[in-house]
Amino acid sequence: MLDVIDYTPGKSLLHRLNPVTKLAIAAAIIIATFLAQSPFALMALLALTLGAGAHAGVARRLASLLKVLLPVVVAMFALQVAFTSTGERIVAFATVDGVIGGARACLRLVGAALPLALMLSVTKLTDLADACVEVLHIPYRYAFTFTTALRFVPVFTREMNAIMEAQTARGVRFDTGNPLKKLSLMIPVCIPLLVTSVQKTDATALAAEQRGFYLRTRASSYRRYPMAAADLVALGCCLVLIAVGFAL
Amino acid sequence: MSAIIEMERVSFSYATASDGAYALKDIDLSIEEGTFVGLIGPSGAGKSTLASAITGAIPHHYQGRLFGSTRVAGLDTCEASLTDIARFAGSVLQDIDAQMVASVVEDELLFGLENFGVDHGEIEGRISSALDAVGIADLRHREISTLSGGQKQKVAIAAILAMAPRVIVMDEPTSALDPASARGVFEVLRRAKELTGMTVILIEQMVALLAEYCDRIVVIDRGRIALDGTPADVFAHGDALRTIGVDTPRTVRISNSLAEAGLTSSDSPALTLDEAESLVAGILAPEPSKRAPVAPCGAGNRVDARGDLDDERPIVVEVSGAAYSYGAGRAGVEDMDLTVRAGEILSIVGRNGAGKTTFAKLLNGLLKPSSGHVRIAGLDTRTTPVSTLASHVATLFQNPDRQLCRDTVVEEIAFGLELQGTPTQLARGKARDVAATFGLPGDASPFNLSRGQRQMVALASVVALEPELIILDEPTSGLDYRECMTVMETVRARALAGAAVVMICHDMEVVSDFADTLAVMAEGRLIEVGPCREVFANDALLAHAHIAAPCVPALGKRLSARFHPSFARVTEVADLVAIVKELKDHA
Repeated sequence: MLDVIDYTPGKSLLHRLNPVTKLAIAAAIIIATFLAQSPFALMALLALTLGAGAHAGVARRLASLLKVLLPVVVAMFALQVAFTSTGERIVAFATVDGVIGGARACLRLVGAALPLALMLSVTKLTDLADACVEVLHIPYRYAFTFTTALRFVPVFTREMNAIMEAQTARGVRFDTGNPLKKLSLMIPVCIPLLVTSVQKTDATALAAEQRGFYLRTRASSYRRYPMAAADLVALGCCLVLIAVGFAL
Repeated sequence: MSAIIEMERVSFSYATASDGAYALKDIDLSIEEGTFVGLIGPSGAGKSTLASAITGAIPHHYQGRLFGSTRVAGLDTCEASLTDIARFAGSVLQDIDAQMVASVVEDELLFGLENFGVDHGEIEGRISSALDAVGIADLRHREISTLSGGQKQKVAIAAILAMAPRVIVMDEPTSALDPASARGVFEVLRRAKELTGMTVILIEQMVALLAEYCDRIVVIDRGRIALDGTPADVFAHGDALRTIGVDTPRTVRISNSLAEAGLTSSDSPALTLDEAESLVAGILAPEPSKRAPVAPCGAGNRVDARGDLDDERPIVVEVSGAAYSYGAGRAGVEDMDLTVRAGEILSIVGRNGAGKTTFAKLLNGLLKPSSGHVRIAGLDTRTTPVSTLASHVATLFQNPDRQLCRDTVVEEIAFGLELQGTPTQLARGKARDVAATFGLPGDASPFNLSRGQRQMVALASVVALEPELIILDEPTSGLDYRECMTVMETVRARALAGAAVVMICHDMEVVSDFADTLAVMAEGRLIEVGPCREVFANDALLAHAHIAAPCVPALGKRLSARFHPSFARVTEVADLVAIVKELKDHA
């Protein structure tokens, strides 16, 4: 889970697109996923995401993310099936409507989670921030906040793991099978994590300010992020995708 | 040369200090441009506060009451904005992960250049020369999260160098680094200073490096400047430094001891191995070195503490053929064979990434060996839950903040006992006793204590458990000299009481003072296990593991080649002096 959103270097078309275009593609797939009703259309959208991932060489990343989502998906499917009583019965309490509704909900969940992970794993965070500032005219401080938050996810996950290890080594029974008990044991552990997070965030703010954070403007970035022909084509495809999603 | 930093009667008290105590008091300090200045002092003395005052973080980032005036390159830090001060004074924070703003090395360097509006045509040149200056041109396109601690420090330095400030201020850059990487950081700073005429201000605890690299050393004690001068001037005040709680380099201790023994009249301390060697050579030089070895030197051949006794002490740690792999891309450990007996202090040494921490996690059960066996106090770690093992093994982690989670010191110390099933009242009572022996305030909140005191709380909660095995991961990093000695003396007392101790430590002076046995690791393997003095005498082995021998054995080695073989195995200053005296007397 640690490295799901880490950048994977590459030279595929997806890598070379403007970061803003990549965001648009992710957004288009997600919007289409919510608009489309037919499970087959949802599957096609998911296939599109996975195909693009394979093209960019990050299929393994997506697969590991799918593995993380699997328990949630299964639980969601089970609940949908259990609580839908309309439609023809198949076996026991399961109905056709329930199965279709469950499948739809699960496909939407996965279909909405993967595109963003895909785009983040083929885009450097700095590029994403700089391109958003240049193309979308987003103030740099918001872009910086966003990318820093993302950058801190693995840092804090590592910190949390280290804290859990330290507590396990003193005899806190995190190796218990009871999830509720585990949760109650984790609450005190959040205090050290909170303390470190606040310290780290404060230090980062100081370090950024001492390197001229407040002087940064749209023109500061050394790299330029022009929208190329491929980007415009991709944006066109995004509109089509949303329209198709609406139709199905 | 003119003064780049001028501080006049600067006092500061943090707004968060409830009693209004001054972190800095009446500081008068003027630093010439192009000097390499070391700031040293016990923890809580105000070193970081002084650095913040110089870089403008005080008053612009930390709130509080500030008196006096500080000028950096002529700018008054109260009038100029933090950004303007940053054009002249770059700073690298203690928490290196928080210092980073980008995910790739090149972008990290770009950030400051872009912000300060450096001409885009000039940027490429600035980046490549900064990377070259610190010797990491090959890391330019690497992800920062994949770098080692030493590499990150170099990236942070390069990012500051690229902005071409006139002063660089660094807060304890080497506290998490192995000795070779620590020296690398000092080399880089010296080179940058020589190339650009930059002023370097460095907070540091490694006295040997300070003595070797600095032009000037400023000792801070309780918010005031206690001593200020060249390394030779400052380290000549060995007694005053000890009272303050600052270590002196071993070479200085050697020259002071020689002077006390009346063997030399020189009153300027030896700051490097070379100086110490020529000092001893000066005493023994009239002596032709070829002369037949005189009388056996009792001091040098002191019988090793580990004798036949060995076999009778119970085995606490038994590792046979153990291996662990994290999977592709990250090195694990393999072929580990090790026995540690009750009462033994074993130190694991090796460079960053050699597998020391992985090995420690195999011992406390956090990792299970993928092959082979690890038995602690007779329990196989693979079949025993970590929470059960915890009553036999206690670990002191490098960062105490990961360990502390209760509201008061007493609760914190009692927590481990309670987890093992000791009734609360009994556990609290015992915790109170332990807190008292450590001199810790029992009812204070651990989070309000200083870094060193938090480490002591963590240690106290380990000691309270009276475990059969104590594992210490970098017990002394971030501690000042006095705290370091308290921690290590406590550990030694536990070993005398029959606990086995395994410690990972980068400070070879601490290792040679306290460890009985050394386990040397390189590339995930144990390449040698043996008594301290034998391992430190083995140059080829040390070179392979990238370890520098501590000062006394290193000097002994040189002297044994020139004068007398009995120097070869000395590990303590007193022994070395005794041999010199003996040889001199026989002359």
